Amino acid sequence: MNAVPDAMAPDAMAPDAMAPDAMAPDAMAPDAMAKDWKGETYYGQASLKPSPFDWKIAAYVYIAGIAGSSQIVATLADRLGDGRDETIVRNGRYLALAGALAGPPLLIADLKTPERFYNMLRIYRTSSPMSFGSYILTGFGLASGLTALGHMAGERRRDGSRSGLRRAADMAQVPAAFLGAGMSTYTAALLSATSTPLWAAAPRAMAVQFGTSAMATAAAALSLGEQVAGDPGNCRRLDGLAAIAAAGELVASAVAERRQREAGVGQPLREGPIGAGYKAGALALGLGVPLACHAVNALSKRPSRGLSVLGSLAILAGGMVMRQAVFQAGNRSAERPDEYFRLTRREPEGTSPRRRVDRDLAARGARRLP
Amino acid sequence: MGVHPRALDYAESFPNGVIPDESELTCGTKIVPGKSYGFFTDTTLCIGCKACEVACKEWNGLPADNLGLTGHSYDNTGDLGADTWRHVAFVEKIGSGGDRARDMAPFQSNWLMMSDVCKHCANAPCLEACPTGSIFRTEFDTVVVQQDICNGCGYCVPACPFGVVELSAADGKAHKCTLCYDRLKGGLEPACAKSCPTDSIQFGEVEELFDRARQRVESLHEKGATDAYLYGAPDTPGATGGLKHLNAFFLLTDRPEVYNLPAAPTRASGRVRPSFLTGLAAMAGLTLAAAALMSAGRGGDR
Ligand code: SF4
Ligand code: SF4
Repeated sequence: MNAVPDAMAPDAMAPDAMAPDAMAPDAMAPDAMAKDWKGETYYGQASLKPSPFDWKIAAYVYIAGIAGSSQIVATLADRLGDGRDETIVRNGRYLALAGALAGPPLLIADLKTPERFYNMLRIYRTSSPMSFGSYILTGFGLASGLTALGHMAGERRRDGSRSGLRRAADMAQVPAAFLGAGMSTYTAALLSATSTPLWAAAPRAMAVQFGTSAMATAAAALSLGEQVAGDPGNCRRLDGLAAIAAAGELVASAVAERRQREAGVGQPLREGPIGAGYKAGALALGLGVPLACHAVNALSKRPSRGLSVLGSLAILAGGMVMRQAVFQAGNRSAERPDEYFRLTRREPEGTSPRRRVDRDLAARGARRLP
Repeated sequence: MGVHPRALDYAESFPNGVIPDESELTCGTKIVPGKSYGFFTDTTLCIGCKACEVACKEWNGLPADNLGLTGHSYDNTGDLGADTWRHVAFVEKIGSGGDRARDMAPFQSNWLMMSDVCKHCANAPCLEACPTGSIFRTEFDTVVVQQDICNGCGYCVPACPFGVVELSAADGKAHKCTLCYDRLKGGLEPACAKSCPTDSIQFGEVEELFDRARQRVESLHEKGATDAYLYGAPDTPGATGGLKHLNAFFLLTDRPEVYNLPAAPTRASGRVRPSFLTGLAAMAGLTLAAAALMSAGRGGDR
């Protein structure tokens, strides 16, 4: 601390009293702020509150991803397939509906005042993924319900024509697929739009990570369905899709980790039991094993059923581990003030929202009362 | 500040009824709906008496949350939370080598004290995150949680860049400082500011507080305390990343982190668009890949 009045005394804190050219960064920075932050925190006390989300929300993110992406695959199989993909279409639609049905109970169980869950649909807010996500889930549930019920009631007729119910189901599938894309990835935006260091450091990479994982798990689940139905050709195509998505997830995970490292956050995802679980469960088992299995199968003339099933199961398990690890590590990182302060020494990605929710202080003349 | 002339009209010990616009007498500010009100917390004046913590708990009927000792100087509350809406931080400045510091900056002890509170951010991340609309902006430009709407989703908790709002285990709803919404409606100064014996907490119209605060910084600098700066006023630390300014802002004399404040907090909602659009783009790419695979003839053995 400096007791001698400084010639450079930054009276810049009164900007109106200053000539504009004196607003250079040096003049703006008062002595205390100019001092570099050397890692001191307030008794190591957390500066943030960790999210109250637990495994239920992580499980929801996983299920929402499988359901959303299944609907996409089912829709593509119905529109582009050659008619031998009926099981993919059916399983995809059922999976989508099952996910849409399993999601709300998990979300509601996580509310601390669950009897008021319906307040979620009281307003609509683009700045809150929790808000618009509720509408995505509702719309996806309705559309997926239509596709699945239509499918259940009206299987394709022998002559190839479709019943009225089935046609209604087919009409609902395109909007359902669009909402499915939202289901697969809005949850990443939900985590990134917080102050939690780990989640806030890599909003873009994490969105790709969640989206690709959603597609990989959906393809893996549908591939297992084809194994049951005994259609190796379909398995092969779905395994190919799972492998492409898993490869994308591998790249996205690497990019996310690099972003987090650069921002000086994310130690909990690399160290300790959570880090070990993430590396072994999400990366090695969830991505490494299936990529290897599917690669061997793709190269061999006679693809092995065992390898395909193993790859699919590994993807499904890895996807769940990935969500849980990212959740736990994020909550842990919020409790570490040094991680948060390193992140907030510089402005991270995407800090200037284009849409203002609140009005300007100055422009607030006559305002409506709430 | 002298006595307000209107004070003479209410000289009796037991006023018979509520004094209209009492805030005019206690802090020289008349509370009018439609204007912006907030706190200027001048940490150089804080003596760590915790009158604000107690006054807040009393007025708002908040339970005691920790009857033990944290061992962190005189700070027994630890942090802001569902039951603590004002929190006095005690930073003991140790000298070199773990010794007591011997030189002191003018007008300072080697103890920094700061009464922390919800910042009532101009672009409040908690409000932007709340999916039920239970967090709203009042007619006094403050940020309040409506307890009868909150469903305890907890999304506001990680959204706040200052770790202020918290879910209460007792009732499953989010709680934080309301800037004494009920008192403002009745023309009363917030309890913490009214109880502060040193005027470290000043309540008033935000623009007026900014002027007052800038003058205070200038005068401190003139006196040699060149460390003083504002946190949360427009274009100062704390008012970064789209937050614009904080309706409850601070005068500090050390780095923000020392007081447990982030130097450049961000507005969480700024990450919705980049994240969501990138995710959708990835899904579009995957859909194309899937479309190619689905329309291609069946490979292999059929
Ligand atoms: S400090 Fe936190 S709780 Fe207070 S208004 Fe800002 S975001 Fe909301
Ligand atoms: S916990 Fe309550 S106040 Fe917070 S975001 Fe959810 S509904 Fe809104």
